[in-house]
Amino acid sequence: MPGLDEVSDSKSDGLRTAARHPVPRGEPILEMRALQKKYGAVEALKPATITFLSGEIHAIVGENGAGKSTLIKLLTGVIRRTSGEVFWCGKPVQLDNPQEAIARGINAVHQEVVLCPHLSVAANMFLGDEINNAGLMRKRAMTEAAQSVLDDLGFNLPAAATLGSLTIGQQQLVATARAAMRGTQFLIFDEPTAYLTRQESAQLFRLIRRLQGEGVTIVYISHRMEEVFELADRVSVLRDGTHVGTRKIGETNDAELITLMINRTIEQIYHKEHFPAGETIVETRGLSGPGFQDVSLTVRAGEIVGLYGLIGAGRSEFALGLYGRHASTAGEVYWQGRKVNINSERKAMDLGIALAPESRRDQGLCLNLPIGLNINLPIFKRLTRGLTINRQKEIENADRQIRDLKIKTPSRRVLASAMSGGNQQKIVIGKWLSHGAKLFIFDEPTVGVDVGTKAEIYRLFARLLENGAGIILISSYLPEVYELSDRLHVFRRGRLVASHDYRAASHEEVLTQAIGV
Amino acid sequence: MSAETVDSGTGPAPRKGVSILFGLTLLGLLLFLWLLLGLATNSFWTPNNISNLLRQGAMTAILAVGQTFVIITAGIDLSVGAVVGFTSVIVAWLLAAGVPLWIAIILTLAFGVLIGAFHAFGIVRMGLPPFIITLATLTSLRGIGLLITNGSTISITNEAFTNFSRADFLGVPSLFWMVIVVAIPAYVFLHLSRFGRYLFAVGSNSEAARLSGVNVHRTIYLAYILSSTCAAFVGLLLASRIGIGNATQAEGWELQAIASSVIGGTSLFGAVGSVHGPLLGAFILATINNGANLLNVNSFWQRIITGVLIIVIVYFDQLRRRGAR
Repeated sequence: MPGLDEVSDSKSDGLRTAARHPVPRGEPILEMRALQKKYGAVEALKPATITFLSGEIHAIVGENGAGKSTLIKLLTGVIRRTSGEVFWCGKPVQLDNPQEAIARGINAVHQEVVLCPHLSVAANMFLGDEINNAGLMRKRAMTEAAQSVLDDLGFNLPAAATLGSLTIGQQQLVATARAAMRGTQFLIFDEPTAYLTRQESAQLFRLIRRLQGEGVTIVYISHRMEEVFELADRVSVLRDGTHVGTRKIGETNDAELITLMINRTIEQIYHKEHFPAGETIVETRGLSGPGFQDVSLTVRAGEIVGLYGLIGAGRSEFALGLYGRHASTAGEVYWQGRKVNINSERKAMDLGIALAPESRRDQGLCLNLPIGLNINLPIFKRLTRGLTINRQKEIENADRQIRDLKIKTPSRRVLASAMSGGNQQKIVIGKWLSHGAKLFIFDEPTVGVDVGTKAEIYRLFARLLENGAGIILISSYLPEVYELSDRLHVFRRGRLVASHDYRAASHEEVLTQAIGV
Repeated sequence: MSAETVDSGTGPAPRKGVSILFGLTLLGLLLFLWLLLGLATNSFWTPNNISNLLRQGAMTAILAVGQTFVIITAGIDLSVGAVVGFTSVIVAWLLAAGVPLWIAIILTLAFGVLIGAFHAFGIVRMGLPPFIITLATLTSLRGIGLLITNGSTISITNEAFTNFSRADFLGVPSLFWMVIVVAIPAYVFLHLSRFGRYLFAVGSNSEAARLSGVNVHRTIYLAYILSSTCAAFVGLLLASRIGIGNATQAEGWELQAIASSVIGGTSLFGAVGSVHGPLLGAFILATINNGANLLNVNSFWQRIITGVLIIVIVYFDQLRRRGAR
């Protein structure tokens, strides 16, 4: 990387030269041969043979539980393989610990940022590899070096700022910059754009192409087909732990990939059914609260009301406000025509509002508790007879949701943390289906969720509408809200700035309103 | 990470799978220690010594159960030892003032409730970390107790009260019966009622629990009140056993309680724990102390052994949790 040489100490310099351009472009750099991973009797990855060529962008696509995470963990040394071989630059390697992977130049940027939020951006970028002078850290030198790398990459980010003060998207860019400056030869991105705005995604793509230009091999894992086609040279498809094929990007198309992934056609994904709008369920008049001002909208039975905007535009804050998580500062809420004061989550639930919140990890799930407990959490009161919980009913309800929603788990006793993103989202949804509601608020329901599960979730929306519920759908992914919403509201800086009927405005129009240029 | 650490039904009740195995391992360890001490000493398996052991373990066991409720919510209660000392003073003082026994007992337990409510108030309303608020009451309750007694002790002359701790029922010391009196409702509460589930949920992710309609504040109040009330109950038992009220008694018992809980498989990060685990933990600690006394091991060594044991048991517990990987 230009701009780095003058600041790196001899140790990291040595590491980088050792790893630089080990094989010519286009030759195999990493080969998996019959690589297999079993957890007990479960085969998470069936023997897979995939070759990664030096300097290519190789996309990997697949549904929930298709084995993508297992693959990343194997290649980064987080878990050990059960059988098979890995060849790095033509030689067999163990890759049984993360240090070895990093020393060889294999790095991963994870979907959820794993850095220290309390340290500065610069400190995070140099974490574990600090510039020091006789054991004392040279803070200013690191900040300057980090700033020059960030500027050089075209990220408009302050190196001295605390990491936690940045948005998740910005933190993701920092994590990428960190990997980029470490002499990485082989960089794996795990759904990097899940939390990014469009501009941030564009910045990330520029960085990825630039790394490729410098000879770095990129593995890009994503659910978003348009990204795969925009970026990748080749694409490998996994299904149920099996590698079902690798294609050159010019020789395939959406339809083929999706068929490979899920045995289903693309028309079946965005599933929009129109229902006659019924009575008004909820109406807000000039509702204001922390993070949003003066929002007036209505939701009627049988319709999806979409809220689109950039991350931080106030949509989630509005949802939390309506749900009673934060007290509103002005405005009124009418529930089925009656003025109500929703001052607690319980109150909202009792009226008939359900919220599947933005962050499954922070707000949606008790990750280190069993799936069953998560599903039943809102309804334990109902399951209680006398002093104790009716265990029979508790088990029945958990198993019913697992079955109905096709949550892929051997048992309701498995911890929620062991589930993939799509299955975790289903647990959150299952929780609210158990409880029942008149108004469902889905905040970013398909972030980190694969195509197959997305389609299932959209079909579920139709089922809810059919039963007379209304839905508020919040998403940063325009095609989703655009295709599904009966009425689409655009948020910008905490305000509702525009409203459109189903497909009444173009994508460009909506985007412009969201960005505000 | 396949993950059957806690659970039966859909809740974290310790019925099936690995949890019961761990419970059995602990029980095995306890029985092994008893067998070993039986072979190594002549005096271990004497009715006198066993009664003594059960009495010794009983009070820590009750404290450990209360402590476990708090730790499951990802909190900590450092004040329990001080509460024991303080409430022993309260009951002695009330009895010395001529208050009828049953009223004195109820009032003493009410003090436990108040102290727990104060802790929860500090955490929920003032935003203090549990470590800090309970550390503060640890020192100040000792101070208040010393003020009341003017630094000395209050003797208890009520014979009905002091005889209780020496009495046996069906050949088992009454103090041990008190463990059962606490443990059964505690088990029902933690593993069978919804409030138990709420403790786990709050300890795992309080925001998710709140958004699912759990009253997080009330749950925290419940946990700290139960812990302090258990401690006040132990204060009564201690006062009965030693026949005095003294604010400096039960020094360091909070650490014994936390150690018992942790040995019993409770995670200090919250959301993992049971009722039977801390009970076994408390009696393992009591057995070690008892055995060391019988074997004439220097009491300084007892402390070292306890420390090593905590490390070994918790280490193996962690290995077991990671085992599935």
